[in-house]
Parts: sequence; C-alpha cells; structure tokens
Amino acid sequence: MSISDPLYVRGKIAGVYPSLSSRRDEAYIEFVEDARNALLHGQQAPIAAYSRDLLKKAGASMTPDKASCDAAEKILMQDPALKTYYRVKRSLQESFWNGIRSSFNMRRDAILAAMDAAVTKGPGTVTLDPDMPMPEYSQAQIHLQPGAYAYEELGGLFYDYGLKVFMGGAADNDNLPKMVARIVRVPADGKVTRVLDLGCSAGATTTALKLAHPDAEVTGIDIAAPMVRYAHLRAVEQNIDVHFKQMNAEKMAFPDNHFDAVLSMLLFHELPPEASRRVLEESFRVLRPGGAMTILDFTSVDDRDVYNMWFAEMDSKDNGEPFLPPFVRSNIEKTIAAVGFKMEPFDPKNSLRTGRVCIKPLQQ
Amino acid sequence: MSKKNGADELAYVRDLPGFKPNNPTYFEQEAIDHLIGIVLELGGELWTLRDRMAYMEELLRDSGSKVLEKLDAGRPSDALQAKLSAERKEFISRVYSRLYSRYGGDKAQHTTAPM
Ligand SMILES: C[S@@+](CC[C@H](N)C(=O)[O-])C[C@H]1O[C@@H](n2cnc3c(N)ncnc32)[C@H](O)[C@@H]1O
Repeated sequence: MSISDPLYVRGKIAGVYPSLSSRRDEAYIEFVEDARNALLHGQQAPIAAYSRDLLKKAGASMTPDKASCDAAEKILMQDPALKTYYRVKRSLQESFWNGIRSSFNMRRDAILAAMDAAVTKGPGTVTLDPDMPMPEYSQAQIHLQPGAYAYEELGGLFYDYGLKVFMGGAADNDNLPKMVARIVRVPADGKVTRVLDLGCSAGATTTALKLAHPDAEVTGIDIAAPMVRYAHLRAVEQNIDVHFKQMNAEKMAFPDNHFDAVLSMLLFHELPPEASRRVLEESFRVLRPGGAMTILDFTSVDDRDVYNMWFAEMDSKDNGEPFLPPFVRSNIEKTIAAVGFKMEPFDPKNSLRTGRVCIKPLQQ
Repeated sequence: MSKKNGADELAYVRDLPGFKPNNPTYFEQEAIDHLIGIVLELGGELWTLRDRMAYMEELLRDSGSKVLEKLDAGRPSDALQAKLSAERKEFISRVYSRLYSRYGGDKAQHTTAPM
C-alpha cells in the first residue's frame, strides 16, 4: 500500500484532487460547483450591468470613494435580485466548505497519518517550524474556510478542494497553476537556478513552476503548517521534486541575492498593508540583482467605479476578505517602487487578475 | 365576415387579464415568491429520486446483485458522468434561474470563475 492510499481512496478527480469520501458527497459538491457557475459566475456580467443601471436611475455618484460606496450600498441592497444574489453567494460558500469538511473528516485519522508518513518521503522535502510566532492576521478565516489556513490540520486539503469548487473547474488538472507558471517573469539573462513561490498554499503553483523550469530548484513557503504538509504530499504523489517550508514571508530564512525569480500568486490581498511592505522588502533582499518578482493579484483603486468598489467591499464582508479593501486602497505600486524595484509592463491578457512585474536593478 | 373584420373585432382579447403570460408576485419581498417556487420544485425532484432509488434497490436485491455495496465507493462511467453533468446544469437552471428573472439573469450562461 502506498503512503497516499488513505488520501486517494477513491482515486483522483480532475487530475490532481483527492476524491471525496463517497459518491454521495461528490455528487453534492458537483451540484454546488455547477450552481456557483450558473448562479454566481454566470451572473457577474449581467448583474453588474443591472446594478450600474439601478445606480444611474437613482442618480447616484459613480466615483469610487467611501461616501459614494455607502450611498450605493443603500440603493443596491434595496433590490430583491441583489439581495438574492448575495444570499445565494453566501449560502453556496457555506455549503461547499461544509460538504468538503464533513466528507474528508470521515477519513480524518487516515489522512493525517498519510501526511505524517509523507514528511520523510521524496522527491522534494518539507520543513516545518512549529516554534514560529504566528501573526495575528493569520487567524482571519479567509473565504470562510473552516479553521483558516493555519489552524485546522486538514486545511491544505480543504483549501485544495475548495479552490477547485471556487474556480468552477478552471483550476482542474492544475490548468490555472500551469498557466500562471508559464507567465512568471524570468531575469533578462535567462538564468533560472532558484525559484521561490510565496504563500504557496497547497503547492499547485509550486509544482507547476518546477514543470516550467525543470532544471531549477523550486521552493514554496507558507506560514501555515497544514498547507506545506499537504503541499508536500501532493507533490510526492505527482513525483515532482520541490521544497516546501513553513516560513513567514515577512522574515525569510534565505540568504541575500539567493533567488532568480519570485512569484506571489494571490498573497498580497490577504495581508495587512504593513505586512505587505515587509514581504516586498524581503523579496527584494532574497532576489539577486537582475532577478524578477511577479505579483498576480487584484487591481489597485485607479481603474474602478463605485460598483467595483462596492462589489469588493461586499466580498470582504461576506466572504472573509478583511484585507482586500485595504489592499486595493493601499496602491501597492508605490510600495514596490519604495523598496527599490523597477516595475515593468505586464500583458493584462496574461493573468488571472492583474500582473505586476518587479525587477531588482543590476546596479543599486 | 371578412378575416380583417374578425381580427379587429377580437383584438380586445389581447388585453384581457390573463391573456398574456405574466410573472405575478404575491409577497412584498419578491425573493419569497421565488423561494416558494424553488422549494416546491425541489420537493418534486427529491421525491422522484426517492421513488426511483427505492425501486432500483428492490430490483437489485431481488436479482442478488452486489451493486449496492459499490454505489458509494465507485463513480459512474465517463459517459454517464458527462450525461449527468449536462443534466445537472439544466436542473440548476430550471430550479433556480427564476431568482434572477428581474434583470434577465435567468438567461445568463453558465461559466467558470472569471480568469
Ligand atoms: C490565497 S492563498 C495563496 C494561493 C496560492 N499561491 C496558489 O497559487 O494557489 C494565500 C496563502 O498565503 C499564506 N500566507 C499568509 N500570510 C503569509 C505570510 N506572512 N507568509 C507566508 N505565507 C503567508 C496563507 O497561509 C495562504 O496559504
């Protein structure tokens, strides 16, 4: 019996995900995923048009500032269709976490034992740091995930399957991570010996980076032990040689000028701006001169109207994204420049959200 | 009587209450109207399944099959999964899309998360 049999007891689904414990649980989650696609993702464009129309008819200001946003909320949340949309969004989010948690909990002990057994298995490694002080913000239950990233031992598995459902199939077979890995900027001289993935969660992007740069040493760090434990098992299962470390990106245990490329995929909008600044300073330090950092994340405040702003505020309140509005307002471009990076243009067609390419200058 | 006259004479029927299909709401909050429709629809779907499952289990037991044990451990064939996936999308639209009829969202396409 392979170490991971307890995890993949019904095989894999969509190429990479451990199956839920029973066909019944799977059918339930398939329903939730499709319901999200029809009732949330599919509604985004028409509901945005409808909402802007309501605001226009009410003569509301479309400027993305706090006062207009509060006024917009009063107008929009009178509307039965919008009330319904937000109710459905919240309920389906709760449904998929409940479904995933209760299904994997049925095999809890066996899954934990499989992760323990994987710690000493290769390829690749996992390094835990049980004495690391955990910052207050790590307790935020982002996306309503039970136990947050760090405080539920099955968190990595919950996150992985949760992302599958959340993305409505777009992440199946690691398609999204593979796309991300392909667009990560490498230094102009083309030398890629070491690559770092910040806030790697379940490690899907980390393994995709290794596939894109087979000769490089690829490392993923995450502050949450349950993430890197699961990420390592997931990588071992795919026979991909990557290294996972439990580490705070604000204070990294790597030497100066160590990496050629750094990726941060959807990390910064989940950090308070003070922490973001320290992560950028540290990223600058560990990158070699000429090295490149790619940041894939939400847009900043500039290109939005009051509807986008309100939509993000609703998401932060209803979907556990406390740091998203401060991130959007913080204008991270300024901080990127302040820590010494030069920003280069990024093709917006490339990315999930918005891409920012930051180069550490050769001469400082 | 000419055709034209007949049409004119009967034109009024188009304005009779109930001639054109409408979308009445009975509650102050329209969402409650939708929810009652959905709960009824789901009851029908759920009952159909319960009836079918009970009958299928009876047939399987009678035929001495071990299939019941496999039901949860396994997964339908690729062909059946594809069929179920199409039916599930149709089911979701039929049961729930009325929630968004106010702005025409009941005609929106299913999509995955925006990339
Ligand atoms: C949205 S997830 C990132 C998704 C992941 N990059 C991917 O591509 O699937 C954010 C992750 O950042 C981690 N994180 C939060 N604060 C961190 C910090 N200070 N240092 C390292 N990781 C952190 C969280 O534990 C969580 O796993």
